[in-house]
Amino acid sequence: MDETAELAAFRAEVRDFALTRCPPEIRAVVAANGKLGRKQWAPWQRILHAHGWGAPSWPKEHGGTGWDQRRRHIFDEVLAECDCPPQYHHGLRHLGPVLIAFGTEEQKARFLPGILSGEDWWCQGYSEPGAGSDLASLKTRAVREGEEYVVTGQKLWTSHAHEADWMYTLVRTNAEVKRQEGITLLLIPLDAPGIRVREVRTIDGWHHVNEVFLDAVRVPVANRIGEENKGWTYGKFLLDRERLGGANVAPAFRFLDRCRALVARELAAPGQALKREQLEYRLLLAEAELRGARELGRAAVEAVMAGEPLGLMPSELKLSTADTVQRIGAIALDAVGERVASRFRPVDASGPNAEVEDIEWVQNFMYLRAKTIFGGSNEVQKNVVAKQLFGM
Amino acid sequence: MAFEPKPMLPGDAHDAARRFAEASATTLARLQEPAARAAELAVQWDALLELGWAGMLVPEDCGGAGGTLLDMAALAEGAGSAALALPLVAVCAVAPTLLAGQPLLLAELAAGRLQPCVVLAGGITAETGRLSGRALGVETPPVPGHALVAVEDALYLLDLGTAGAGFTRHERIDGRLTLDLELQGAPARLLAADAGASIARARDLGALLSCVEAVAAMGTLIRQTIDYLLQRQQFGTALASFQALRHRVAEMYVAWRNLTGLVQAALRTPEERNIAFAKLRLGEAGRFVAEQAIQVHGGMGMTEELPATRLARRILMAEFEWGDRHAQAARLLAAA
Ligand SMILES: Cc1cc2nc3c(=O)[nH]c(=O)nc-3n(C[C@H](O)[C@H](O)[C@H](O)COP(=O)(O)OP(=O)(O)OC[C@H]3O[C@@H](n4cnc5c(N)ncnc54)[C@H](O)[C@@H]3O)c2cc1C
Repeated sequence: MDETAELAAFRAEVRDFALTRCPPEIRAVVAANGKLGRKQWAPWQRILHAHGWGAPSWPKEHGGTGWDQRRRHIFDEVLAECDCPPQYHHGLRHLGPVLIAFGTEEQKARFLPGILSGEDWWCQGYSEPGAGSDLASLKTRAVREGEEYVVTGQKLWTSHAHEADWMYTLVRTNAEVKRQEGITLLLIPLDAPGIRVREVRTIDGWHHVNEVFLDAVRVPVANRIGEENKGWTYGKFLLDRERLGGANVAPAFRFLDRCRALVARELAAPGQALKREQLEYRLLLAEAELRGARELGRAAVEAVMAGEPLGLMPSELKLSTADTVQRIGAIALDAVGERVASRFRPVDASGPNAEVEDIEWVQNFMYLRAKTIFGGSNEVQKNVVAKQLFGM
Repeated sequence: MAFEPKPMLPGDAHDAARRFAEASATTLARLQEPAARAAELAVQWDALLELGWAGMLVPEDCGGAGGTLLDMAALAEGAGSAALALPLVAVCAVAPTLLAGQPLLLAELAAGRLQPCVVLAGGITAETGRLSGRALGVETPPVPGHALVAVEDALYLLDLGTAGAGFTRHERIDGRLTLDLELQGAPARLLAADAGASIARARDLGALLSCVEAVAAMGTLIRQTIDYLLQRQQFGTALASFQALRHRVAEMYVAWRNLTGLVQAALRTPEERNIAFAKLRLGEAGRFVAEQAIQVHGGMGMTEELPATRLARRILMAEFEWGDRHAQAARLLAAA
């Protein structure tokens, strides 16, 4: 088989698997733009793992598939096209590669299997109240006492901490040196004494992010990745591995399809013609931009295959998709907002989410504001692009 | 090192067209009077025909070069990078596509003896071989000779010297020459009665190559904008040091890269849908880049002599060629 035929066969194989093996109730959550949590992700990860597809980006000897960038891209794309959840990234895409590159044999043996099977659930403790875009200013302190670190401080915006078992955490081990040179990467179990996780309520009415307070938490030195004070390097390594995350535009296309169907359904009445046509036009503009981004993503995948540097491509991708997806969310909000925004939250029920039909479009609009804030905000990405373009 | 745009279709054809367009722009920049510019454009157009570019898409057995879409696009990209003010796409790409299956006329075209302007926009009616109506702002070679006129699905060849055909001449915002045609029962030769498919193909090719020209112009414009901001001093420092302007340029760059992706996809698979999306996006991205380039040049951005404003006006004009963004949106929605 030539390469394209091989890849087409691979695509078909993934599609068949996705459609037959991903539980319908999980796909239904994705299809309804619902909120994904461990409850959906963990069983899906178990299924993938049982099939040998638990870790598309890991080498074979660690239980990965050993796929090249092209196959990984196809895999992600097809999962999205079939409304399967994207794989939960914290263990698989962030921590896993760092463990493989810098972890001890004991650490690999202890942590990689749990990530693969979905047994252990991870979250990322980087940001703090005083350290966001300027992450190197982080202050959570770890003081060495014998074979333990004593960790005190506060993390903020910690996604999924309320349902996670572990947090990979950047802490300050030296405040005397250049900021980047006094940071260490620790693996901290969230049930350790001295940890308190508190929900941060976000504008979308879903629960994803938390504050994590650490009060003299004792962490064995054996839970340190690599060397003390080298955490920044490992953190950077981790982010570099994620630079192609934006290449998969398929979920955005699914979101666009759903929004288009919503507009057609919501605005079918003749009196809505002007609004419908305006929203349809805006959807076309968004689709054009996503198509452009999809080409940039393909080019980035090919650059990796050819061993060429990615240069500005990751920033181009992020800047080409993040606010486009926001705009699609805004189109949906315009379609249903008048009807449902006024019924956002039930006053007499305990949960934060309303049961009003289509309310998730309002929630999604709100949630999507985060797209241009996390993962390197749009402003930070533009700084990166400008620095390269101006040569200063 | 500051930014240097990379061509989509590098190579000899691109470089030759680019050199030609840069020399053209340098000469034209010295000429203010429309009549003097038109005369200079006539000289340059003859030089362009000498290079055989009118035959690029004409089959070899009709005396052409038998080139591919990508060969033609490489010329358009090179020409676009310096906003060439000549009807390269209309005469050398759209016309031969309309004339497919007309070997004698194709041979005339390749030899530079037939230099038609192309009227696809409607507004003309036909009755027993006579054309009537008006077509405004039709891009034209410097010396108007013939017009290829689409009337619904029929294609006519009109001699502009014939009785009943009148025209006045204008210059577009990008410095290209146009005609306002006024036809009152002008006799024309029916080339094909059911040319609907080739008319649509020709229009799509025009739209695609307009995008190619505009992408190239945007690359140059972004480079010139960056160079200007690096060199221009205000408040005791280079304007390039101000974050508001740096971000603006980053946005221009990303819009350009995004459009480039769409245009490359359309060049690879030149289907109606891909072309319509590229042209639609050109309307947005091109307008944005042109407007912002003018803005960050300050007062200089308002002057005609600045090369950057010439590029900006070329990019603005490209949207109106072969169907603007709303026309593209309308056909995409109709196909849905
Ligand atoms: C939903 C959500 C989930 C998150 N999940 C996690 C997680 O799991 N783990 C984790 O560690 N973190 C997480 N984050 C945190 C995220 O990484 C930070 O929000 C991000 O780094 C921005 O930091 P900040 O919020 O402190 O904003 P700030 O850095 O205070 O920025 C405020 C504004 O200023 C702009 N700005 C900042 N610096 C510059 C500059 N140099 N030039 C121009 N403009 C600038 C920013 O773009 C932004 O618009 C999450 C955030 C959100 C919203």
